[in-house]
Amino acid sequence: MKLFLLWIAVHASQYVVFLYFLVVNSVYTALIFLALRDIVRHAYLTTSRVARRQLASEFYFKPVSVIVPAHNEAAVITQSVQALLNLHYPEFEVIVVNDGSTDDTLERLRLDFSLQSCAKPVRLQVPHEAIRGVYRSAAYSHLIVVDKVNGGKADAINAGINVSSYPIFCSIDADSLLEPDALLKSSKLFLEDDELIATGGIIRILNGCKVQDGSVTEIGLPRGFLEAMQVLEYTRAFLSGRTGWNALKSLLIISGAFGVFRKDMVVAVNGYRKTVGEDMDLVMRLHRHCRDRAIPYKILFVPDPVCWTQAPFSLRMLLKQRNRWHRGMIDALLANRVMILNRKYGATSLIGISYFVFVEFLGPLIELFGYVSIPILYYFGMLNERFFVMLVLLAVFWGISINIGAVFLDIYNFRRYKKTSDILRLCVLSAAEFFGYRQIMLLERLVATVTFRKKDWGTQDRRVFEKKGTTV
Amino acid sequence: MLEILTQSPHFYDYVTAAVLLLGVFNVAEVLFLLWNKARVERSEVKRQNLKRLASTALITATDPAELLPRPIKEEEFAAYSEAIASVLDSFEGEIAVKAVKLISDLGIDDHYRRLARHRVWYKRGNAIDILSSFRLKSNREFFLAVFRSEPALDVRYRIIYGLSRLAREHADIRALARLLSGLPYLTAKYTEDIFYNIITSLKASGSEAEFGIFMREIMHDKTVLNLVKRDCITACYAAGCERGRGLLREYYAAFPGEPEILISAVKALARVGDFSVTAEALKNPDWRVRLAALKHAHLCCMDMLPEIRAMLNDPSYHVRLNAALALAKGDNKCRVALREAAAGPDAFAASAAAYALTQEAA
Repeated sequence: MKLFLLWIAVHASQYVVFLYFLVVNSVYTALIFLALRDIVRHAYLTTSRVARRQLASEFYFKPVSVIVPAHNEAAVITQSVQALLNLHYPEFEVIVVNDGSTDDTLERLRLDFSLQSCAKPVRLQVPHEAIRGVYRSAAYSHLIVVDKVNGGKADAINAGINVSSYPIFCSIDADSLLEPDALLKSSKLFLEDDELIATGGIIRILNGCKVQDGSVTEIGLPRGFLEAMQVLEYTRAFLSGRTGWNALKSLLIISGAFGVFRKDMVVAVNGYRKTVGEDMDLVMRLHRHCRDRAIPYKILFVPDPVCWTQAPFSLRMLLKQRNRWHRGMIDALLANRVMILNRKYGATSLIGISYFVFVEFLGPLIELFGYVSIPILYYFGMLNERFFVMLVLLAVFWGISINIGAVFLDIYNFRRYKKTSDILRLCVLSAAEFFGYRQIMLLERLVATVTFRKKDWGTQDRRVFEKKGTTV
Repeated sequence: MLEILTQSPHFYDYVTAAVLLLGVFNVAEVLFLLWNKARVERSEVKRQNLKRLASTALITATDPAELLPRPIKEEEFAAYSEAIASVLDSFEGEIAVKAVKLISDLGIDDHYRRLARHRVWYKRGNAIDILSSFRLKSNREFFLAVFRSEPALDVRYRIIYGLSRLAREHADIRALARLLSGLPYLTAKYTEDIFYNIITSLKASGSEAEFGIFMREIMHDKTVLNLVKRDCITACYAAGCERGRGLLREYYAAFPGEPEILISAVKALARVGDFSVTAEALKNPDWRVRLAALKHAHLCCMDMLPEIRAMLNDPSYHVRLNAALALAKGDNKCRVALREAAAGPDAFAASAAAYALTQEAA
């Protein structure tokens, strides 16, 4: 009887793995087609005429507070802030929140921007750790620096929200660079649609690019395999993933590296929650808040405002980052578990959250199960070798199609990578991903699944943006 | 279950075909990417050259149509239309007349009129945008005809935008208001932009007063949303309507229970240097109206020192802070009051006053 049950279980598991493979790849393929439609439409409607009209009109904007949480960012903070101060935008303030750095981040800011103590009363709308001081730059009146006790990224952004003066805020990582028109492109959406409560632009990898005066002057694919592979991953995640979810009205993540929010809505959900996946958690709570109260709302991803960010350049850092992302996702799903398969939350729950639960959370477990079952089935002579070989070939070729499809979306519409060699390398990486890289990432996600209760962020090494004549 | 699949006679044939197809598809995708890259690069160079050529011809040649090759491809039409729109934005007189003539000589308006009836809505929207950028009076009837048959709301909003750039007389404003009221309210900025375009068009033709007549007409018209009335006032603010002061004061008096309209009126009046309602607005029960008035209080209401001083204890954070900033911009008496507040017992007022004093010092 036991053997029979085992036989049934083994056969059923093969079916589950096969079905999982079909469903996941079909979802990715569908997302690419949805994204293509959305991106082409967006490209048509966001003509240069429209942008010119908006730039020309000094009344066509809402003032924005740019919040930069910074913890031990001394290596990049000056250039990053300098780049933000050069943004093309009629009225904005930059709020750098020094989140209890143990390096000389604050000192660097104090010296480079002539900071002076300022007694600005802070309105406590969302919770955060104690603020030690607020400073304003004597050189740039729209630069404010907040020095506070360490409490994590979410806590730092909350402090920034309380200090901010404007109705819209943009959160951006200290190691990231916004393109000069990125803020204009993303915040204009708030004028075009009163229901919009949050939006995010695309995050691109800064590694391999040349930076001058806080702006990316030459775009190139990084030389390192890991960094170049991340370019492919980001392209896939943003252009096919988020644009596709956008079309399905199920966007659940606005990247913590660059997101623009309506402050009143974020305050209404009590700001960011202290967790490693604070970006996804916030978006999920915004969905919940609006659905629970029948508030008409929109959360959108737009593919053309660009934020350049540094990607990890060593395997150790990369694994740490992926581990954190996966733990963050699990934590956000757990904290908002009421939304799972709940019709009250509409497409967000039934499509978006279901995808995260069944593909992103359970996927690594099913994939691992698939890998483990192969030698076991082979040992017991239950492996259909021909079927196995065909399945592997199908998986790899389909996966490559999905990857090249994402590259296609980027090169066809945005043409950021202009060198033929870069395009060809991205296509080669589309295939290379399946031989080692994917499996290593899978293992790290499994580790994260087991250790999801850990709350630490870890530290990331940074490269200085600009060194004369070199790329990042 | 898998056995049922794998034992079907053609199962492996299908899977092999799928694998081969995917392989061929992948190679085709890569080749297409490279081909497309070369094509786009060529077309971009051509587009830039055509734009440059068109702009130069419009400025230097007597009849630019003789010099310029007739557009055939979409990219050529786009290049010409961009060049012409930018010339129309920057020049008036003879050059503008030549640009308008070039539009019909090269068949650009006909091309985009055809595209405005395309089956894909965003292509129609793009064509309407381009036609709007030409600001051709002759497009007025065309826009109205397309509006009647247009099913997509997004395109209809764009047509109204295009029409708003062509408004010349009272009938145009009424017609636009009718079209707008037939659609769901979009956003404040959209409506404001429409009225801003109307005002600037009317100003250019010297008939700004027409807009005043229109605003007076809708003031008590219940069928017009108060939001639209507010957007009209905001458009006056953006366009700096000097001659609308009296009307704006009437609006302020006519809508005491509509804070949005009051705020717009206070701001619009202040922009043209009229602070006659600011003092009254400082006493409004709605904190947003008080805040709007406080922004200009230092320019007109320093005789209301006790009232502004009292606002340092206002329940609203924004009002407290702006009251302090208004006092900081005032005379010596104001700064004395501010220093007293900074040392006073109300912690909220004290922190706002201390901040304003440091700002003033900076």
